[in-house]
This record gives sequence, structure tokens and C-alpha cells, in this order.
Amino acid sequence: MGAATETFYEVIRRQGITRRSFIKFCSLTATSLGLGPIGTSQIAQALETKPRVPVIWMHGLECTCCSESFIRSAHPLVKDAILSMISLDYDDTIMAAAGHQAEAILQETRQKYKGQYILAVEGNPPLNEDGMFCIDGGRPFVEKLKEMADDSMAVIAWGACASWGCVQAAKPNPTQATPIDKVIKNKPIIKVPGCPPIAEVMTGVVTFVTTFGRLPELDRQGRPKMFYSQRIHDKCYRRPHFDAGQFVEEWDDDAARKGFCLYKMGCKGPTTYNACSTVRWNGGVSFPIQSGHGCIGCSEDGFWDQGPFYERLTNINQFGVEANADKIGATAAGVVGAAIAAHAAVTTVRNLSRRKEVPNGNGGSNGKSNGTTNGTSA
Amino acid sequence: MTRRVTVGPFNRVEGDLEVRLDIDDGVVSSAEVTAPLYRGFEQILRGRPAMDALTLAPRICGICSVSQSLAAVAALRAVDGLRAADNGVLAANLAHAAENVADHLTHFYLFFMPDFARDVYSGRPWHGDVAARFKAVQGSAAQAMLPARARLLQIMGLLAGKWPHSLAFQPGGTTRAIDLGERVQLLSIIGDVRDFLERSVFADSLDNVLALDSAAALATWRDGRGGDFARFLGVADDLALDRLGRIALPLMSYGAYHGLDAPLFARGVYDPVTAGVAALDPDDISEDVAHAWMRDTALRPAEADTDPDADKPAGYSWCKAPRLAGRPVEVGALARQAVDGNPLVRDLVARSGPNVANRVIARLLETAKVVVAMHDWARRLDLRAPFLDRAARRGAGAGIGLIEAARGSLGHWIELGDDRIRRYQIIAPTTWNFSPRDRDGVAGPLEQALAGTEVGDEGARSVAVQHVVRSFDPCMVCTAH
Repeated sequence: MGAATETFYEVIRRQGITRRSFIKFCSLTATSLGLGPIGTSQIAQALETKPRVPVIWMHGLECTCCSESFIRSAHPLVKDAILSMISLDYDDTIMAAAGHQAEAILQETRQKYKGQYILAVEGNPPLNEDGMFCIDGGRPFVEKLKEMADDSMAVIAWGACASWGCVQAAKPNPTQATPIDKVIKNKPIIKVPGCPPIAEVMTGVVTFVTTFGRLPELDRQGRPKMFYSQRIHDKCYRRPHFDAGQFVEEWDDDAARKGFCLYKMGCKGPTTYNACSTVRWNGGVSFPIQSGHGCIGCSEDGFWDQGPFYERLTNINQFGVEANADKIGATAAGVVGAAIAAHAAVTTVRNLSRRKEVPNGNGGSNGKSNGTTNGTSA
Repeated sequence: MTRRVTVGPFNRVEGDLEVRLDIDDGVVSSAEVTAPLYRGFEQILRGRPAMDALTLAPRICGICSVSQSLAAVAALRAVDGLRAADNGVLAANLAHAAENVADHLTHFYLFFMPDFARDVYSGRPWHGDVAARFKAVQGSAAQAMLPARARLLQIMGLLAGKWPHSLAFQPGGTTRAIDLGERVQLLSIIGDVRDFLERSVFADSLDNVLALDSAAALATWRDGRGGDFARFLGVADDLALDRLGRIALPLMSYGAYHGLDAPLFARGVYDPVTAGVAALDPDDISEDVAHAWMRDTALRPAEADTDPDADKPAGYSWCKAPRLAGRPVEVGALARQAVDGNPLVRDLVARSGPNVANRVIARLLETAKVVVAMHDWARRLDLRAPFLDRAARRGAGAGIGLIEAARGSLGHWIELGDDRIRRYQIIAPTTWNFSPRDRDGVAGPLEQALAGTEVGDEGARSVAVQHVVRSFDPCMVCTAH
């Protein structure tokens, strides 16, 4: 374990990473965080001069998908550098020590870096039956979680579990799985939702926090704005097909092969805020919509109980990129639902019959439907 | 004098695990395995729209989510009497194989081998080499393996969008029809992974590795060879890992990678004592809850519910005790390869039975075999034909989905009515391997494998216990779900 005064730069140099790679890492990170060219030198300077911020990574009731995502980050150096940062301290899944030895390291780190470390939490505590559904080291996980949070500088909530509850909190929530901000009240918490979150988003957040020793700018739900301010729908490469009223009607139909919009197949892109449509997955190769399946909104609070997942959304504004989550939430679902139904009918009518324009239909189009027919019902 | 120690929490396993050992004169006389984590997926799934199983069930596990998806898909397909499009079968096989190979590599490089880098082995001639290669996080092997693994999982990007928790798998096939360019990418990824296996893991061509047909041939082949497989074989010999974690329970496989004609790996049950293969009847599968924190409902999964009872006095795990015709069985790569008739694995099992060394060997051999098959599947995709068959669903009735995850046999039992889920039961691979005792007091496979382990004065710190536990590659989040 490194001394408290050791810098990140010293740590990675000791691991045999060259200065050239280090600068490349800084520049990539600055880009992914949207910091621009000056960001590179800011990050480099911080990493060279400030003491390394230790990270302790804990697992509660979860499926380990966040860890799985994390260790596949696209740029090997990013992952290696951050893994070396983290593994110096404590991680349940990948560390070398085991059993009581591991517990001892955890307590030692906690004492040594009191008030300085970042607590990264994957999963959440179940509160039913006095926490009996997740026992860690012979006692309920919730106790260990609170104890470790007490001495931390700040807490990262990895994924939908720690942020919102996720599938184990789905009705009837048998174990009373509870998001961590309901049990940790005395520390700043940064939520990085998604099931799992995108690897590059995770490494970006860890790098920002450990580099600058503070949390990035958060939205009012506690998510980092740099990654969660964009709606999937607005940056989706299939968006032009939505606007043109071209939809997939069945899996792998002709429209699917042409890459039309998946809204009618239940896509939740229009109500989901995440970086999937820009950063993408598995090293930038793809994301769910690109695989021909709609988004299920796995970074949104309560997505697990928003099924059926294969029915279209009825509570969104149909056109325009200006709507935000607040507006969507505030809009009466019934009214907008009618507009969406009409829009769906528009495309069916246009595709099937190519009838001439019927002026002034009842659809809620706002002038962008290019003069096509409006249907009367859906 | 018997003393009782508790080992855990374990790390470098997926999820939480605790093991209690009774130790007599430095030898484990009895073990109890506890799965301390329960979420209640079977309770959550009940009453939901049938197809929502495809988005919720994979979230049982972030390590083997494709396996969970495909078991749900297979169960729904069975209910509806559907057949998947040929391309859909091949694409699902490719994605599933990518996940399984990734799991095998993760297990070997990140979870299993780092234990040999521990100081307790510092007197061994191989220790310096193995520590430099496998020491957790710092070893050189992970630096090579993690990029190879990330490359492999780009297959998920091409075929399934995101991973873990992919969405492209449907009863009729997959939602993603790939084009010519993407097939070239697929073949190139598979080529890169093959290259990694041939350079780093085996230090030989996969063809030569797959031609090994006996323990003697393996011994000749590895003599003087580099690569991590041979490195492990050296350690295994020195530490007699073929005598560690040895049991003689039947080896079971549901059959893996259901191809267009026959599965790549056959279904059946192999008895390591008689060396005979028997057919597998799913009706023989039951789950006993005598020592699980669960209420008694019914023995057969098609009729049972999962209903927790945290105060049950006889309970010591959230894991139920699955039994085949009343007996515990071992599942995993070793079972798959023995059932399928791999001559090398059969020979190894005949010589020393299922044990720590043979479990690891079978996993790596299987990796070689699967990567070769992946190449074939990718070439056989007919890009003009459908990837998904859109026949109408019935949405009522019962069905079973039996598949092989990396860690062994995974089954979903489902009952639908009005296209909603009336009952959902899951038996995961580690549920079989890490089962608690049943009503007759018969211990589960890991409990049996730990009995007889020499721990000396080390007690809970014994590294031998770690080897035995990790040889099964446990996935605790799947175990009790």
C-alpha cells in the first residue's frame, strides 16, 4: 500500500507506465470529460503533484455487472491506471487478499485515509429481516456500508442498484433493497446509473474525482452532467427515421434491416438520459438500439417496474429536441399519448396507402411532419 | 479435537460466499457452504408480462447475463412451441460463446491463478515466475488478458448491442441482422482471440491442443513448453492439485450450443466411477429446502415456489439443494467435456476423478474448442436469410429452458397464463455445485470436495481451501438469485 503522500504519477511510473502514455491518458481523459486542451495539462499537473486519492470499492446486493463493465474500458491504459489506483486499496472482486486478511486491509485503509478516500459502492443494502438477505463478513452489509461511508470523503453510487434500487427493488421488492442515498445521509453522493453504466463513463467519473479531489457538476438527481444531460433519443442515429415517421413494426422486418426507429417496439430512448447513443458500448462498437432492440431505460429511476418493455411509450412529446426530463414528467400522459398515437397512425397511413393530404388532422404534430396525412386514430 | 472455523468473505469470486469448516487434526472433516445473498427474482417475476422475463431475468447476473437471457428465451420458446431462425441460433451461439470464453479466461487469469502468487508458496521453484505473471492486479498476464477479453466482447457489440444485460435475444432468434462488413469484423475478432490463446495460453496451435487425447499425450506435449496452460500444469503437478477437491459425484450437462443439427457438446450424465454415460431426464430434477432458508413448497421446480423463511432453524444458506434422481451432481466445463466424450478429459477423470486440476484443465480445453466452433458459426451465417422467426406466440402453458452457462447447467422453469408469468423457477450452475445438505443429510458437491482437505494449522487461512472453492468458478449472485 502506498504512503498517503504518494502521487498518482509516482504510482503509475512505478508500475512501468511511460511518461508518454501518461500524457496520452491525461489527454484522452480530458477529452472524455469535455475539458478541452487546457484540461490535459490540468489533469497532468494534478496527478503529478497532488496525493493520490484512495478508492475503496464495495459490493452489496448486486450482480457484479458494474465491475464487469468497468474492466472492459476501451483504452487499456485508462483501465490499467485506474485499476492500479483502486486495487492499491480494496476491492472485493479482484484483490489479492482474502477473508479476514481482506477485512483487515479494509479497516486499515479506512483508518489511514480517514476523510480522504472515495467509497465506490456497487449494489445496495436490503433492509428486510434486519439485513439478513446480504450478509458480508458475518454482519449485514448495511452496517459495513454506513461505517465505511462515515469516514469517506464522498461516495460513488455505481449503477442502477446503488443509485435507484434496480431489479431487486422491483415489486414486490422481497428484500426491501434500498438505494444507498436512503441510508447514507451525511456524505455527498454521485450517482452513476445504468444497468450497468458504460465503462468509459465509470472511468471518466473515477478519474475526475480522484484527479481533482471533488465531485463533477451534478444534475438535480445527483448524476454527473457531463454524461447524463443528453437524451438517448436526441443523439440517436435512428432519430431521423422517427422524425420521418419510419418505424420498425416487427423484429427483423424490412424496416428493421433498414435501421428505422424502434419507438413502436417499446424503445424508451425518448425518456432516458444517458450517453449510450454517443459513447456507445463494448469499446464504442454498438449500443442496444444499434443491436435492433429498443432502449429499456436502464439508467432511469424505476425502469424495472415500467414494463411491459415491449409496448410503446405513451408519455412523451413526439417531435422536437427541446423537451427535457422535467417537461416530460410534467406533461399529462393522456394528452401527449393521443398525439403519439396519431403520429403512429400517420406513418401507417402514409406507408400503406399514400393517400393525399387531409388538412388539419388531430395529431399533435408541430409542423415537422412534412405535410403528410394525419390519421384519425390508432 | 474438532474446531470450527469460518472462511469468508471470499473475494475473487462473483458475489458473496461463506464456508464453515470442521477441522480435525489439521484435516477438514465436514464443510457447510452458505450463499449469504438473496434478491428474490422468482418472486419479482411472478405476475409480470411474459416477455418482460427477457429484460429482468438476465439481471440475475452481470457475469453470465447472456446465459440467463438464453435460458429465459429457451423456456419461452418451449411454452410457445416456436423454432428460432437458423441465423438467430448461430448468432446466439456466438454471443453465448463469447461470454463463456470470457468467463473462462477471467476465472483462470483473475480469480484462480493469483492464489499461487501468494507468499505461502515462496519456497517453490516456480513461485517467482508465477508471481510475476499472475499476482493480482500487478501480474503481467492480466495486462495481456484484459485487452484480449475486451476485444472478444466486442462480439457482443456486433450481435447484441451491449453487454452485460444484452437485449437482442428473443424466442424467434436475435433482433440484430448483421451485414457482410460486420461478419468480417466478427471473423477478425475471433481471429484475434485465437491468436491470444495460441500465443499466451497454449503456446501452440489450437489444432495441436485439440488433438491431445490422453493424459500421456498431455504430459509429452507440455514438456518444456511455455504458455500459461503449461505453467499451470507445472504448478498442478508440484502441488498435486489432482488430489485436491476430489469427489466422485455424477457429472451432468444439459448440452451446450444447440446448433442447427446437434448441440456442440452433448447432453447427458457421466458417472466417473463406472465411466458410463446415461441419458438425462429433466423430470428427475428436484430441489430440496431442508437446510435452505426457504419454505417447503414442492420438490419439482415446475411446481415449486421460492418463498424465503429467514428464521428457519435448520437453514444455513439461501441456496436450495438441487438433486438429480435424488443425488447431488457436479456441473461445469469438466462435466460438459466428460459427458461429450472428450478423450483427454475422460482419461484424466478415469485416472484421478473430478478434482481441482482437472476442472481447470477442462475449462481451458473447452475454451480452445469453442473458439474454433465460433469461427465456423460466423462463416455459416446466411446474411440474406432472417435472423428472427416471427411466428405467433401462445402465451400460455409450461416450458423448460435448459442451457449450459460457463459454470454449468442452467435451467429456467416457466409457467404462463394470459401471457403473464404464473410461476418462474431458476436453478443455476452454482446452485448445483454449492448446494447445502438435503433432507437425508447428503452434502452438496463443494461440501464433499472440501472434506478431506489438509489445512494444517492454517485453518481459515488455508490456501488449499481457496483452491478447492475457486476450482468450481462459483457465481454466487446466480446461486440463490
